[in-house]
Amino acid sequence: MKETLLKAQNFSVYRKGTCVVQDISFTLCPGEFTALLGLNGSGKSTLLSGVCGLLPATGSCTVNGEQIAGLKERQRAAKLAYLPQRSEMVAELPVLDVVLMGFHASLPILGAPGQAQRETAMQLLERVGMQDAAKCSFFALSEGQRQLVLLARALAQNTPFLLLDEPDSALDFNNRHRMLHLLKDLAQQEKKALLLTMHDANFALHYCDRLLLLQGGRLCGDLRTAENDGTLETALQQVYGDVELGRCGEQRILLKR
Amino acid sequence: MKAPKQRPARMLVVVALLVCILLFGFSLCVGRYPLRLSALIARDPMTTRVFYTLRLPRTVLAATVGFALAVAGFVYQLVFRNPLAAPDIIGVSSGAGTGAAVAILFFGGGAVVTAVSAFTGGITAVLLALVIAGVGKKKQIATFVLSGIAVNALMQAALMALKLTADPEKQLASIEFWTMGSLASSTLQKLPWPLLLMGCGLAGIFLLYRPLLFLTLGDDEARMMGVPVERLRRVVLLLATLIVAAAVSVTGLITFIGLIAPHLARLLTGSSKKESCLLAGLLGSALLLAADCAARGLLGTEVPISILTSLLGAPFLVWLVCREERVP
Repeated sequence: MKETLLKAQNFSVYRKGTCVVQDISFTLCPGEFTALLGLNGSGKSTLLSGVCGLLPATGSCTVNGEQIAGLKERQRAAKLAYLPQRSEMVAELPVLDVVLMGFHASLPILGAPGQAQRETAMQLLERVGMQDAAKCSFFALSEGQRQLVLLARALAQNTPFLLLDEPDSALDFNNRHRMLHLLKDLAQQEKKALLLTMHDANFALHYCDRLLLLQGGRLCGDLRTAENDGTLETALQQVYGDVELGRCGEQRILLKR
Repeated sequence: MKAPKQRPARMLVVVALLVCILLFGFSLCVGRYPLRLSALIARDPMTTRVFYTLRLPRTVLAATVGFALAVAGFVYQLVFRNPLAAPDIIGVSSGAGTGAAVAILFFGGGAVVTAVSAFTGGITAVLLALVIAGVGKKKQIATFVLSGIAVNALMQAALMALKLTADPEKQLASIEFWTMGSLASSTLQKLPWPLLLMGCGLAGIFLLYRPLLFLTLGDDEARMMGVPVERLRRVVLLLATLIVAAAVSVTGLITFIGLIAPHLARLLTGSSKKESCLLAGLLGSALLLAADCAARGLLGTEVPISILTSLLGAPFLVWLVCREERVP
C-alpha cells in the first residue's frame, strides 16, 4: 500500500462566508503528479488555498498526518510549497534574490542565505532555463518568465509537496512543455507530490498521472490518466460537456464537438 | 538574456557617505558666529562653547534625524506597498503633534517635556492604529491604512481642539512653530535619549531587513514561504514608528525627507535591497544637513526647516506622481 502524503476528508472551503468547495475527500501520494481540472469558478484555486490553510475550512486536511491549518508558518513552509499564478511583489529585486527567498523557512530567523544556497538557486534557475536572467530585475521579465522564476523559488523550499495554481498560464508553447516536463520529472525522480490547477486538459492528459475533476465546488471525478479512453471521455464530459477524446498517434487529444 | 547594467550600490553608498561628511563639516561652520578650526584647537572659550553647545549637537541631530526619517520612510513605503507612504499614514506625525501641543498647553512647553510628550503622542497614535487594525477580521495592509487614516483624523481633531483653547500670543505660536520643525533648540543634553531610541529602531530594522522584504509580497505568498506576516508587520511598524517618534520629538515635524530620500535611493540603485535602504538614510542625512545649513544661512532670521524641505519635496512629489510604473 502506498504511503499517503496528503489526505483531505469531508473538506469544505469558504470564501467570504460562502462555501465554495463542498465536502471533498481525496488523498495524494509521493510521486503523484495530479491535475485539478474544472471550468472557471468551479473552485480550483479556492481548494488550493484551502489546502494551504489560507482560507477558512471545515473537515480535515492533513499532510504527513498533521493538520495543515494547525501548523505554524515555518512548519507549513517546510512541508508544502505554493506557487501562485503571479507574485504580488512590489520590491525591486534581482531574480537571484527572488529565488533565494525560497530558502527562508530553512534558515534561522535572522539568517541570510550563504554560498551553498546561492549555488543551489543558480542551479534551480538553470533548471527552469532562467540562469541568464539571474542578475536582471524581476520586473524586467515577462509574465511567463516570472512564472518560471517563481517555480524556481518554490523548488528552493525543497518540500515533499507542491501546490501550483495555473503555473503555466502565461507561458509560451515551448516553456509550457518545459515546465510540465520538469514537474513530471520532479514527481517521478524526486518522489514529490504535485497538485496543480490548469485549464488545458490536453496537457493534463499528456503529463499528469491523475485527474481530479471539479464541478460547482464538488469533486465529480478522480481517475488516473492511464484509464481507458471511454472512462476518461465520460468523466471529462461531466466537466466540459460535449467533448470527444481522440487519438493522434499515441497521444490522446480532447476535442470540443 | 542580457542583464541590464548593474548600478554599483556600494559605490553609491561610499559617495553618499563622503557627501554627508563634507556637509557635516560645512554645517559645523555655518552660523552667525564664525568658527575657525585654529581657534577650536587653541581652545578659545567662545569658540569651544559655540562648537559644543550649539553647532555639534545641531549637526549631529540633523545627520541622525535625516538618516532616521529616510530609513523609516523607506520601510513604510515597502511595508505599505505604496510609493507615497510616509509616517503620516499611520498617524505618528499627527500623534506627535498632539503630544507636543499637550506639553505646550499643560506642562509649560519646556524642551524636554515637549519632546517626551511628542514621543508619547506618536507612539500612542500608532499603537491605537495597530489595535484598531487588530480588531478587524481582515488583517490586510489596507486595514492598517484605514486604521491609520482614522487615528490620523482623530489626532488632527484633538490638535485643532487644543489649538482652540491655546493662548494665541504664546502657546498657539509655539504649537505652530513646533509643527514647522526646527533644529535650533538642539542641545547636548537633549541628544542621548532620542539618539538611543533611533539607534535601537534602526538596528532592529537593519537586523530584520531580509524578513521585512517578504512584506512586499502578497500576504498569502509570504505566509506560504514561512513568514508570520501579521506579527512581522507589527514589529516592523513599531520599530519604524519608534524611529520617527524619537526623531520628531526633538525637532518637530520635518516633512518630505522620508518621502524624497527613499525614492532617490531607489532611482540611483534600481533596487530595494539593504544597500538601497542604507543609501536612502545617507541621502536623508545629506538633505537635512543641507536644508539646515540653508535654514540658518539663507536669511537673517532662522527659517523653519519644513518650509525648505517642503519647497524641495513638493515639486519632487509632482514629478513622482507623473512618473509611470514606479514601485517601492
